[in-house]
Amino acid sequence: MNWQIHLPALALAVPLLGAFVSPVAGLGGRLTRNAWMVLVSMATTAICILLWQRVVAGGTVVYVMGAEAWNITLPSGLSWPIRIILEVDAFSAFMVVVGSIAALAGAFFSLRFMDKFTGLEKFSALFFLLVTGMLGMQLTGDLFNFFVFLEIASVASFGLIAFWRDRPEAVEASFKYMVVSTISAMFVLIAVGFFYGRYNAVNIAAVARMLHMGYAEKIALVFIVVSLAMKCGAVPMHMWTPDAYAEAPAGVTCLLVAVSQASLYGLFRVCFSLYGASLGSTVVPWTIIVMGVLSMFIGVTMAVIQKEMKRLMAYHSVSQIGYILMALGVGLLSLKDPQAMADYGFTAMKGGIFHIINYTMYKGLLFLTAGAVFYSAGTRNLNELGGLARVMPLTTFMFAIAAAAIAGLPPFNGFVSKLLIYQSTFAVYPLLAVAALVTSVLTLASFVKVFQTAFLGPAKKTFEKVTEVPASMLLGMSVLTIVIVALTLFPGWTLSHLVEPAAKALVDQAGYISAVMGGGL
Amino acid sequence: MTGNAPFLVVGIIFFLGMYAILFERNLIKIAIGITLLEASANLLLIVLGYRTGGSIPVYTLAGGTRTMVLPTPQALTLTAIVIGLATSALLLSLIILLYRHYGTLDVREIRRLRG
Amino acid sequence: MWGKVYSGFGYWDVYFWLLFFVIAAGMILFIRALGRSDYKEGTEQDEIFYGSNEVPEDGADMGVPAASAYWGFVEALRPYYDWLVELHTGIASDYVGYFVLTVAAVAVLVLL
Repeated sequence: MNWQIHLPALALAVPLLGAFVSPVAGLGGRLTRNAWMVLVSMATTAICILLWQRVVAGGTVVYVMGAEAWNITLPSGLSWPIRIILEVDAFSAFMVVVGSIAALAGAFFSLRFMDKFTGLEKFSALFFLLVTGMLGMQLTGDLFNFFVFLEIASVASFGLIAFWRDRPEAVEASFKYMVVSTISAMFVLIAVGFFYGRYNAVNIAAVARMLHMGYAEKIALVFIVVSLAMKCGAVPMHMWTPDAYAEAPAGVTCLLVAVSQASLYGLFRVCFSLYGASLGSTVVPWTIIVMGVLSMFIGVTMAVIQKEMKRLMAYHSVSQIGYILMALGVGLLSLKDPQAMADYGFTAMKGGIFHIINYTMYKGLLFLTAGAVFYSAGTRNLNELGGLARVMPLTTFMFAIAAAAIAGLPPFNGFVSKLLIYQSTFAVYPLLAVAALVTSVLTLASFVKVFQTAFLGPAKKTFEKVTEVPASMLLGMSVLTIVIVALTLFPGWTLSHLVEPAAKALVDQAGYISAVMGGGL
Repeated sequence: MTGNAPFLVVGIIFFLGMYAILFERNLIKIAIGITLLEASANLLLIVLGYRTGGSIPVYTLAGGTRTMVLPTPQALTLTAIVIGLATSALLLSLIILLYRHYGTLDVREIRRLRG
Repeated sequence: MWGKVYSGFGYWDVYFWLLFFVIAAGMILFIRALGRSDYKEGTEQDEIFYGSNEVPEDGADMGVPAASAYWGFVEALRPYYDWLVELHTGIASDYVGYFVLTVAAVAVLVLL
């Protein structure tokens, strides 16, 4: 009996166990709780990497919860796909690895960052629930379970955003996110209901096999696409993003970035694997592209005028999500035309998926450095900060790497994915590439502003006693820095081993269906 | 025609909830709107699984009838209700905290984070 | 190759760039080494030039605050920014409104 066949279930079970044992571990004092947090996050990351290896080596993994087969066959010969399944193809495995690395860094960082506060066992319980929700969204092969994990992740993130509940702003940000997010989750649930009403199934592969476009399917598609675009912070539904990202504790923000990628994963899973070629008109791809362009431009222009460090970075998340939406929208646009797919569509998808890992890593690192500045200097206001490079050299160094990567300065990894996106979207419509370039320039401009006002400049009297952050926080940041440097130095390896299998899996709708359904229904 | 009446009810509840969220100022009323939305989604799932004249979907208890209502939507709805309960409880507790911090329940005055 | 990426229109090789940076750094250091040798530490040449004024004790009195960065850019785009900041009202029900309007607009486009 090979225990590795249970990897998909373990990827969910381990963080879930971590969540519910956390209060017990909290009884044993600070050290026990921290050890438990580190142990669970490292185990989760290891499981996710093993799972990815298994998927890359052996193809799509299908795991049926509590049974052998994905369907139930009655004595009369009637069979229905009603089992709860986890389906892990190369794209899911890629997303799971990205998410778990961000979670690991966030957990390391949170050990000392949250020191000054009480209720930390609840913090780590919520943290692991959020990890479970995120991994569940990425692993599940079932629409309703996607909704359930979406809600697990959302509820945990509401709790974490409002964790500093003595701060009015934190509660306010959590409330706003909660109102918008709950409503969008209801839209997702209604869309799932539509699928159930039409096909008597909620299994993605089963629905995809039977799907033919009608009014109900179109409305369900709109509900899911717009709701999940909201969850990952696309303009014009991005207003919760700066509030929530800025007010959450920094370690959590790093994880929230990864969770927004899980929503993005759901969006593209539905578009590519559920609808695929039967998407029909080009309206939905163009909607996604237009949302992407708007997100890029509006996000970055709002970031230029921000005066608070984390809020500025949160607006950059909006604009970076725009790149991914635009690239994968172009991929979706060329899905039906093999020639276009070979010419530019596949490059765009590679660029988009590469940007997912780049974005999660450098954005997570940026939020962590902002958290480190807040921890040491006690303020996030850029008007007050200054001269921190003298007292926090390591943080400054890592911030500079992350800022160069997000601004797309060669030779960093952000440049490679942006290059792929520019050169492929240019073939569709030159203005798309122009918008992306302008966004990149403005991104650089606003990070120059952060770097200059917070880290450079003369030493200020108020920050004389500021010191470098503790080692565990540096460790959390260096996890992400190492990943960024590795992605920078080996872009060819990353593309051929991580990104291309994921892009191929996303395009290959028939493969996704047959992995679950086998020969016939 | 009457078979479609439940869907009409779903629509009415949905739009009532939406109206409450969009146009009411009081946070408690907005919370009520959100629960109305959840109720309409749950009702939609239940209605989708209903078969005219069907009995409970338990084989040994169904009696002589051959038609049963579909069991899956009921399982889905139960899960959705539990999730709805969790979000409502958290929403109301956040509203309590907001009232303590801001001293008001008017959604238009809770806007310290903007721009 | 581990460092080479083909984009369909060209390629990107990180190692060429690293080589370029090494060469550029070498040239910069070389040019710097050609600089003046009559510089004396500890004399007036060492002091900060602050517009012939006294250099303030606290650094907070001389830096440019973040609020002043890109003042011209923001001023030139004033109408755009006024409109944009006005959209971010901070009212939760407005945010829901944007979401519902987007759903409605996309639904109309898809259904037509």
